[in-house]
Amino acid sequence: MSTLPLAAAGASPPRRITLDPRFVMALPGLLFMGLVFAFPLVLLMSKSVQGPDGLSLAGYGRILGDAYYRGVIWDSLTLAFRVTLITLLLGYPAAYALARAKGTLQVFLFALVFLPLTVSIIVKTFGLTIMFRREGILNWFLVNTGLIDAPMRFVFTEMSLVIGMVNVFLPFLILPLYSVMRMLDTRYLDAAATLGTSPLHSFLRVFLPLTMPGVIAGASIVFALSVAAYVTPGLLIGERYMTMSMVMAKAFLNFRDYQLGSAMACIMLVIALTIVFLSSFLTRNLEAKGR
Amino acid sequence: MAALARLFAGLMLFLVLVFLLVPIAIVIPISFSESTVFSFPPSGFSLRWYENIRNADGIIKALWLSTQIAALSTAISLVLGTLCSIAIMRGAVPGARLITTFMISPLMIPGLVLGIAFLHAAREVGLRDGYGPLLLAHVVVTMPFIMRTVLASLALFDFTMVDAARMLGCSYPAALWRALVPNILPGFVSGALFAFIVSFDNYPVSIFLVDVHTKTLPIQLLNQLEMSPDPTLAAVATVMIVLTIAALFVCDRLVGLRRMAAV
Amino acid sequence: MNALAIAAPGPTTEAPATAPPAAHVEIRQLGKRFGANTVLQDLALSVGQGEFISLLGPSGCGKTTLLRLIAGLMLPDTGTITIGGRDLTRTPPHKRNVGVVFQNYALFPHLTVAENVGFGLRNRRIGGEELKRRVDEALALVRMQAFAERSVTALSGGQQQRIAVARAIAVEPAILLLDEPFSALDRKLRETMQIELRHILRDLGITSIFVTHDQDEALVMSDRIAVMNQGQIEHFGAPSAIYTHPASLFVLEFVGQSTRLPGLVTRTEGDQVEVETALGRLRAPGGYLAGSRVVVAVRPEAVTLGEGPVAEFNMIKAPLADIVYLGAKTQLHFKGPEGEAIQVDLARLPQGGLAAGAELSLRWRIADTMLFPAP
Repeated sequence: MSTLPLAAAGASPPRRITLDPRFVMALPGLLFMGLVFAFPLVLLMSKSVQGPDGLSLAGYGRILGDAYYRGVIWDSLTLAFRVTLITLLLGYPAAYALARAKGTLQVFLFALVFLPLTVSIIVKTFGLTIMFRREGILNWFLVNTGLIDAPMRFVFTEMSLVIGMVNVFLPFLILPLYSVMRMLDTRYLDAAATLGTSPLHSFLRVFLPLTMPGVIAGASIVFALSVAAYVTPGLLIGERYMTMSMVMAKAFLNFRDYQLGSAMACIMLVIALTIVFLSSFLTRNLEAKGR
Repeated sequence: MAALARLFAGLMLFLVLVFLLVPIAIVIPISFSESTVFSFPPSGFSLRWYENIRNADGIIKALWLSTQIAALSTAISLVLGTLCSIAIMRGAVPGARLITTFMISPLMIPGLVLGIAFLHAAREVGLRDGYGPLLLAHVVVTMPFIMRTVLASLALFDFTMVDAARMLGCSYPAALWRALVPNILPGFVSGALFAFIVSFDNYPVSIFLVDVHTKTLPIQLLNQLEMSPDPTLAAVATVMIVLTIAALFVCDRLVGLRRMAAV
Repeated sequence: MNALAIAAPGPTTEAPATAPPAAHVEIRQLGKRFGANTVLQDLALSVGQGEFISLLGPSGCGKTTLLRLIAGLMLPDTGTITIGGRDLTRTPPHKRNVGVVFQNYALFPHLTVAENVGFGLRNRRIGGEELKRRVDEALALVRMQAFAERSVTALSGGQQQRIAVARAIAVEPAILLLDEPFSALDRKLRETMQIELRHILRDLGITSIFVTHDQDEALVMSDRIAVMNQGQIEHFGAPSAIYTHPASLFVLEFVGQSTRLPGLVTRTEGDQVEVETALGRLRAPGGYLAGSRVVVAVRPEAVTLGEGPVAEFNMIKAPLADIVYLGAKTQLHFKGPEGEAIQVDLARLPQGGLAAGAELSLRWRIADTMLFPAP
């Protein structure tokens, strides 16, 4: 649009603030989300600092001042970290193979990775508990292949918890990585190879940095989901491994200790938002460096 | 060396797929077994666990409730989300980026946190029954999925078609209905299907809002899994898996899975 | 109506070859702004019944905004739009009975060709045999009957455009608006479609307003052209008038090519002035006071080589810089002493040819000389 000289513009009637009438279409949705989404979150935050008589940080004090709850937060974070690390180690090469597959095979393999994402988490976790049983498929497989002599105990162990969570969250890592890798031009690697760089060197210096956005996206999703996970740990290990989710749920559903539960929920909210901001910060940093 | 790396990656993909699919596939043979325990390999063949689904009336009731909540919340999200998306895409709202982030942000909030927040809010305004808060909460949970798919579809839609329909005698709402809706139908269907699955499968938000009379399917299933696990659950799971695969198939025909997952 | 005014070069008046018929579209004092940005200002336009008008101008001149205001897809801040005697300024687009052919055609991909063409008719509660007959008629007009049941996505660009035209005229709109409908077609197809569309619209006698940034397109198609610049119409007239007697320096530069020489008026003599330029004294018809800064301009095809009678011709000498052979004509480029670009179009080269670098004499009729105030 061209601009007219200011003199010409000054001659016209006083400026009206014209709002596009299509604005009203956004209102019902915004109003709804304001009332049903933003308001409850604000309420939650205010409840977490509300004691029997006015403002009180007692809820936070009880959590952060208690070695037990600090331990729970620490355990939740380290669990999420372990799960994220293992999904990365398994998922990165798998995503690479998926991105390099051709034609119908790729569509088929993609569907197989995508399917578990849509199957109910209860069904998956149920399947995992069956799998880990003494007479389950895992022991059956291990015994029949001669890897172990007698059935092992998996149920309610920390190992089964980690394996189970990796199983549930792995597709969330593979898919973003896959989409980044699929966009990548293989010629980068070919170019690196023709320049005489060793495959390992070209992987570390070319491919890995280029796929970093996918790694950050996938890893942050998996970490966020793992910290907040409730169904899978609840079924696979229960209270033998207390997480923040478990504390929150118990505070509300069993002990009716709303102050403690709300404070814990707010701490988790802060962790979740930190992950979001950290990952977007890292991605932006990466983009800036690439430029 | 490069070939070796590719071979390794292929092998990893194979192992990962086996790992991902075994826990899902395993419930199918268990659901047809005769024995009451989940042993492997399963023994015998019977359909009695499927017949059992009908007897376990809690499950049928929960299934019906979950279907209602998922369908209604998806429909509400679809209407509110689509209208909002159109306004955003047409640049009619100031701060479009911020508003988009806001509408999609429930995705970033842990389910339990959302559930607790909803619980507080429901008490605050005096909503005592389970159904209303449950439905409202599920609209919030499904909204991001609708917004993402609809925004992605609208980005590819040529809004001149809406102008064309208006010039040919349609009022603005009629033009949206007759020129826009049919053309982004695949986006609607995949978004709605995704939203339906997300709502149908939601546990952490629902757990704070259900009561004895209103229990959604995931909560009922988890209760039974904790109380009295038997292969009836495997039968229910098998039905759910089959339905999910059917839904995915429909989606693939309509939009292609990869496009659906990418948005 | 068929008289596309191709007036002989020479002094003509502003009036087009045929007097404009009674006004069918009347636009007065139209203004539109987006925030601090004034897109249209105090614009007036009057289009006769059955006339084909082009809105010609560079991108951002406001021509598309004007089109959208007439269509009702946007509302003006000031002014009125009257079509066929009805004031439609605030009428929503679906009640205006205005047809639009969009730049990208905006066909509905989920409907067949026939359903696209019948879309507007259905909205007017026309169905059954009547619907079928009128869809057939509209398709026959654009010679696309054979494609009625096809999907529009399977059509070529030219075919899609025909369908877009058929869809717009099927409802027999009071006026037809065309928004750069040829820009997506390749050059050859564009030329045939221009001629064909002009014939269809003339035969129907439908009042048409055509938006384009392509001057050739505007010259080929229009009864009259409105050249727009910065939200205003600088010149509204027949194509020949626009070309031979542009109302402003902007119109001169935007439509066709020209040689422009800045200068100072030194003397007035009757209805002629004498201008001092870098290439010597030139005379031109016009009334400027001595001492005015002006630009003297001439079209390249008005200039010839050699000398002529001083009473009738302006004459200059300049070195030949370049010869560009274009088939139907040959362009000669000269460089003036201060870098002025002088262009001469010749139908054929003189016998014996020309050599670059040679100092040549150029002449053109005083009557063909144009004069504008310096910017």
